[in-house]
Amino acid sequence: MRLFQKTNFNFIKHRKVAYAVSVVLLLAGMVSLFVRGLNYGIDFKGGSEVVIRFAKPADVGAVRNVIGQAGVRGSVKQYGMERAVLLSTDYHGETADLKGLITRSLADRIPGNPAEVVSIQAVGPSIATDMKWAAMKALGAALVGILLYVGFRFEFKFATAGVLAIFHDVLTVLGLFSLLGGLFDFMPLEVDQSIIAAFLTIAGYSITDTVVVYDRIRERIRGQKPSEYERIFNESMNQTLSRTIITSGTLMISVLVLFIFAGPAIRGFAFAMFAGIVVGTYSSIFVAAPIVFDWQQRSKSAIKLRGTA
Amino acid sequence: MKNNRFKLILIAVVALVSVWSIWPTYRDQELSRKLSSFHTSEDSLKFAIDHRAEIEQARDKSLKLGLDLRGGMHLVMEVDLFDLIEQKAWNKDARFQQIMASVRSSAATSGDSPVELLAAEFRKQNIPLSRYFYDIRNSDREIVDKLNKESQDALVRAKEIIRNRIDQYGVAEPLIQTQGARRIIIELSGVTDETRVRKLLKGTAKLEFRLVKERESMLRAIDAINAIPAQGQAPADSAMAAAAPAGQAPAAPASGRKLSELIGVMPNGVVFTPEYARDYVASVFKREDAQARLPQDTELLLAAKPEKTEKGEKYYPIYLVKKSPELTGGVITEAKATFGTQTVQPEVSMSMNDEGTSKWARITGANIGKQVAIVLDGAVYSAPVVQSRIPNGNSVINGIGSLEEAKDLEIILKAGALPAPVRILEERTVGPSLGSDYIHAGLMSMIWGFAAVAVFMIVYYNKAGIAADIALVLNILVVISVLAGFKASLSLPGIAGIVLTMGMAVDANVLIYERIREELAEGKLLKSAVDTGYSRAFSSILDSHVTTLAAAFLLSQFGVGPVQGFAVTLMIGTGASLFTAIVVTRVIFEMLVGRGFMDEKSFG
Repeated sequence: MRLFQKTNFNFIKHRKVAYAVSVVLLLAGMVSLFVRGLNYGIDFKGGSEVVIRFAKPADVGAVRNVIGQAGVRGSVKQYGMERAVLLSTDYHGETADLKGLITRSLADRIPGNPAEVVSIQAVGPSIATDMKWAAMKALGAALVGILLYVGFRFEFKFATAGVLAIFHDVLTVLGLFSLLGGLFDFMPLEVDQSIIAAFLTIAGYSITDTVVVYDRIRERIRGQKPSEYERIFNESMNQTLSRTIITSGTLMISVLVLFIFAGPAIRGFAFAMFAGIVVGTYSSIFVAAPIVFDWQQRSKSAIKLRGTA
Repeated sequence: MKNNRFKLILIAVVALVSVWSIWPTYRDQELSRKLSSFHTSEDSLKFAIDHRAEIEQARDKSLKLGLDLRGGMHLVMEVDLFDLIEQKAWNKDARFQQIMASVRSSAATSGDSPVELLAAEFRKQNIPLSRYFYDIRNSDREIVDKLNKESQDALVRAKEIIRNRIDQYGVAEPLIQTQGARRIIIELSGVTDETRVRKLLKGTAKLEFRLVKERESMLRAIDAINAIPAQGQAPADSAMAAAAPAGQAPAAPASGRKLSELIGVMPNGVVFTPEYARDYVASVFKREDAQARLPQDTELLLAAKPEKTEKGEKYYPIYLVKKSPELTGGVITEAKATFGTQTVQPEVSMSMNDEGTSKWARITGANIGKQVAIVLDGAVYSAPVVQSRIPNGNSVINGIGSLEEAKDLEIILKAGALPAPVRILEERTVGPSLGSDYIHAGLMSMIWGFAAVAVFMIVYYNKAGIAADIALVLNILVVISVLAGFKASLSLPGIAGIVLTMGMAVDANVLIYERIREELAEGKLLKSAVDTGYSRAFSSILDSHVTTLAAAFLLSQFGVGPVQGFAVTLMIGTGASLFTAIVVTRVIFEMLVGRGFMDEKSFG
């Protein structure tokens, strides 16, 4: 079976359109980041999350009332699982007290439907600050590491454009989290450690797709005149289009399976990965290679090749 | 062909080692199923005894499930090293207190070592550390080194003591390790009574024997304390304020009232406070302005447990005790929870080492007729009147609520006192029922993930897809066997890593196959197309694997807890995929092409 046989899209000619799309996406994300901000999970803001499971389906509104009247400040939402609700609160005292209080008040006020606290996660504010720092360090180190590696394997312009594409991908997904955060009950899209894991995986993966395109350009551009570059860039991108999309496709299958089957704890991660793969595939074709091309046009010198082809 | 033979042997070895490493996991499952299949418990017990060695061996070597899957507690605790530093200071004037307060607040948002933070603050204020610590002739550097050493020792000691306590409580395979300069990570599976475990871990277990002051100075001290003007606002416990339990409403009226209304004297001379005022009164006793009104080297302490009046009202006795202890818990060698001889109350009897025994004999001998308070973590458990000199180093803690509590006390006394108080910073508890749901979710994702990717590869690449699928199976086997072999545990994020690896592992094959298709389209012969395909795709494959490995490695370094499981499986999976895609599928092709089982159409 073949899905993309002998395509002949003129990517380079329409690159300005792609740039515009990217800029709009990024701007929307940035504006949302400033206006709406991000929905941080307890990993990064501290607090407690309690999963309560009932014997029978329970009305979230009723549970919210009971818990509110018991004096616990926080939000009560449907947890993406049968008969379960999720309580998020900024409480960070003794979890045993919190658990006792919840169990007692629910047993008193909703007597016909026994509730069980099946999971408690509590993160103190000092450790949340630490985790935030660690996440930033990891992201920073990943970007620097990838820049160094790609810089060592490819010419500087290729490496820089590749890392720009990673920034593009991660920022777009971050913007998406800000835009969509809290809109869906089945996936709160809170930024926590698992989302940082998704960002790092996206960073590692985004460059994969880009490298496939780069490799082909590098292979074909050897000894060619700069005037031929536009044709070679286009042909290379068309030739690699199939593999770029199929590799992303298999990963997307895995991520979709995770989204559907792996339960609410993994859903945010799966969403971030899915968005990251889509944006990453788009950016390796429409952002990374065109930037190299534009940069090349401006500097007017032939591309110096490095490494094995 | 010789080259191929080597590769074939390599593949066989990898496959065999994987199966060998996964085998105990399979046996463990099999045996558990058999155990639960018997009709009577006698039969299953008999089977368990007959096959004990085999069952234990399989269990020991089988793949461990993470805490989120089998249910358990993950705790991050912090050792309060500032308390330790304060203990080390020989001069604690107002200036010192103020510096400590500011260092404490800056430490709340910084992961730096407390000693460094302290040194930085002293430098900022231009005060030599030697004004407060160790010898006046020491330089700042020397003092920082000494304090650092003390802190490191304290952390390791705290870890060992916590391990002792957990071992004696009895939790299977606890994981206890230090993290950074002041944290301890504890993972406990299958804990049923979380509250009890938490208490067991947090108790400092600082045991002290202190002399109780005579009644006259006690009454004078109470008068002095009562004279403190009432403050409009009692210092509310900020952590509790977020979720003040409705059931504890009576605590509220205690604040803002005059102390003299909350502290009473009984006809028999016992000074007390009613139960509802306990927390507030205790917080007043800790205040500096209150302590300043007391006689030199004394402090007021409350009883650990309330007593009841004839009408059933609960009250806490108050004691005026000497601040410096006569003897501390360090001399205790043995502790045993028992029931008292005269009463049915549970108690803990203790014996002391030689040094403690002789001191205890001297103390009891010199204070016959006086009260000695047995103080644990700042609360008075009992204050018996010394009847006679005790020569054999025995002592008893009574006034304990339940036998269970006495047993926990025995555990923490035997394990020794923590060098500094500890706090729980992070806690993740998953109940076993949620855990089994997660197992189900994880299994479903693995099965569907594998099925979807495998079917796609066959549909899209025909026979070549089958080769990729064989490589994929080997890949998953390697990941699981490495986890089992290195005794790493599999968590839900770890499973997510495996599912993700499935999608990524076939990528290498996609790159190769697309290249082969191109070569074939250019009219090359099958054999040379395969060769060129592999060699040309290699550079992209290497790049993509290296970048993914790097990202996963960073994640495993910086990430904490659950995310680490993901990073580890992703790393193993990526490594394995490099091997399976480049070596395994190639050998398959070369064999099949060589024997004419494949033709140009085999690549779809």
